Amino acid sequence: MNDSLQKLLQSSKLWKGRAKAGGAEQQGLASGYPKLDHVLPGGGWPRNAVTEILLSDYGIGELQLLMPALVRLTTGAEQSPAGWIAWIAPPFQPYPPALSQWGMDVSRVLVMRPEKNTEILWAADQALSSGTFAAVLLWPVSLGGRDCRRLQLAAEKGHSWGIVFRQSRAAGKISAAALRIQLMPGSTGTDIGILKSRGGRPVVVRDYAS
Amino acid sequence: MSSSTKSPATLREAARSSDSASKLPARHSATQLSLTLSTVPEQAESLAQIPFPTPRQAPRLWLCLYFPALPLEALVRDKAPASRAIVEEQQGIPKILLASAEAAAAGINSGMGINAALALDSTVELLLREPAREQRAFNELATWAECFTSFVTRDHSPALLLEIAGSLRLFGGVSRLQDCVLEELRQHGYSVNAAIAPTPLAATWLARAGHRVCIDDPAHLHGALSELPLSCLDWPAAVIDSLQGMGISELGDCLRLPRQGFAKRFGSARLLQLDRALGRLADPRAAYRTTARFKLEYDLLSELDDKQLLLNVCEELLRELQHFLLVRQSAVQRLQFRFCHFDKPATQIVVACAQAAHTADYWLELLRIRMENVEFAAPVIAIGLRAGKGQAIVLQSDVLPLEEVVRQADDVSIGPVVERLIARMGARSIHGVQNVAEYRPQYAWKKKAVDDTRTPRCEAPPVYWPGSGCLAPFSAAVADTASLLRRPLWLLPQPRPLKMTNGEPVYQGSLTILEGPERLETGWWDEAGIARDYYIALSGRGVRLWVYRDRADTGRHWFLHGFFG
Repeated sequence: MNDSLQKLLQSSKLWKGRAKAGGAEQQGLASGYPKLDHVLPGGGWPRNAVTEILLSDYGIGELQLLMPALVRLTTGAEQSPAGWIAWIAPPFQPYPPALSQWGMDVSRVLVMRPEKNTEILWAADQALSSGTFAAVLLWPVSLGGRDCRRLQLAAEKGHSWGIVFRQSRAAGKISAAALRIQLMPGSTGTDIGILKSRGGRPVVVRDYAS
Repeated sequence: MSSSTKSPATLREAARSSDSASKLPARHSATQLSLTLSTVPEQAESLAQIPFPTPRQAPRLWLCLYFPALPLEALVRDKAPASRAIVEEQQGIPKILLASAEAAAAGINSGMGINAALALDSTVELLLREPAREQRAFNELATWAECFTSFVTRDHSPALLLEIAGSLRLFGGVSRLQDCVLEELRQHGYSVNAAIAPTPLAATWLARAGHRVCIDDPAHLHGALSELPLSCLDWPAAVIDSLQGMGISELGDCLRLPRQGFAKRFGSARLLQLDRALGRLADPRAAYRTTARFKLEYDLLSELDDKQLLLNVCEELLRELQHFLLVRQSAVQRLQFRFCHFDKPATQIVVACAQAAHTADYWLELLRIRMENVEFAAPVIAIGLRAGKGQAIVLQSDVLPLEEVVRQADDVSIGPVVERLIARMGARSIHGVQNVAEYRPQYAWKKKAVDDTRTPRCEAPPVYWPGSGCLAPFSAAVADTASLLRRPLWLLPQPRPLKMTNGEPVYQGSLTILEGPERLETGWWDEAGIARDYYIALSGRGVRLWVYRDRADTGRHWFLHGFFG
């Protein structure tokens, strides 16, 4: 039994979920929430890739989820020199006093408000592929499958972390993002449903912050 | 001086010469000479008593560029040569002012009537003189000349005077410099008379006379100037007539006249001119200063709507800009392109970048990006380019190959990507943020222009009450309390009134108050004072809200001000 299992594991025909196609598993960017890090491949947010966050309403803790990782990017704890963070077409004003409370270096924050959806995607593409921005947060009006693929390639090129916020109803659509998670506010805390995770499995994390 | 003493002839004379010699009208008739004797100030005599003043200054060398055909060339220099003539109205009658070589060959001369010119050559193209374009071309020439010397001055003739003594070493001698200047002018399509002399006036007169000479020794000036005809002096016709009446046709004859008598008859100003031309008196000139900002208009030969072709034209304009900036060692942050259409309002395109730039290729790339999403309403007939305020170029030395490139941690430059973004979306669409020491939530932050982000971070205390001594403790207190109070990550640009049901605020159903109140009552010193109780509330769908009750009026109105995103 053990022998046949070994044989099976050595077979090249077998696809192993966790291991990446041609190399060692990449270290993720720690999210600051142990429950979440535990289920994410690489122990954190996927680097050089696009993360898609699906939510029904703004204000359910979607930014708090990202803040610990973003803070470390701006303060230079994660990489040197410290990176810039682009906020492209945010639905409201990111409030600098609150960002500072979390520990973010607000002088590294750049807010862009392009008018059209094509401009939003163009700006995100430029920002991701430039290598200047450690993270790019964007709120597109709509995002097609090809646009998503383009952003993913740009993030790989620029070694940047793209974070796309979309409405929950886009959950059924095809996406090239490396990680897709859905936020579900509950009575005790916000739950995270992992819809797609490159090298991982779809799971639900109950009350991630606890 | 009463008018009754003037003879009719004098009056006519005065009227004729009033334009060119208003300061010192011609005095050559007997009546006027007597007047001159009684009224001309003692200055003339005192000057005449000073025999030969010697100027004390560093040796100078002036290159004069005289443009005899500027009225014509300003209009047609980029066209094929043809029989053309410039027409100007003289005393209400249009007359030929200047004829091209082809027209001159047909016998057309200046001063001729239009009919006479057409009779000689029926194909001649008659162009009305345009002083504005002439002036523009002249200014462009003066600007161009600044690349040979730091001192360019203009003479109304129209001639440019370049002080070249300081440039000789750089250009490798007088003749090389002169060749260089003349070759470039030939390429630009201007015909020019050039002369070099140690004094500006001598250079001007030599150039006007068409003597292509180079005099570098002041001792030779007298001899060279003596042969010049009086017509090159730019003196009023009355003076020239009078001198010729005395049998004087060359400048040398003029120089032989007794100084005192010459000053009395023709005015001390003429004598001063002669002294300046010979270098006996200093001749200070005001340097021509080009406009600080670049501005260029270009009329297209035909209507264009192809973007690539337009970009090619823009590239030419940008090359001009680059040259303009290079000779000034400056760079600009903002360019404005104006694409004019025949019967539609012009399309404006503003290209800006975070760091000032001066290279044409750089701007062209930004313009290309910017043009991608511009639709022209009609074909373009003319392009205008205006540059913003220039600033000194900040040069960076390249890193030696042996040195390891180390990016400094405090380097907060965001690089060219932001310039591309600004070029396409406009500077108003991008901003940084910064905190302000202020209790009122809406004033506790402000936008920061992107080019500010280039400057290194400094922990300067926020300016709150200018000039008050309690600034630092106050901002420290704000910073202290700010860390204790919870603030939402999302702020609404304007507080949004909440619907009320049974006296309770509702948002996605009834609200559960989680924290609060936090009372803010401040800002009494300006118009935007607030009196609010802030609460953190949870909506029925799990959204954390930052709401407040406005205590300023009845205290019954609730507003939504942010989300704990």
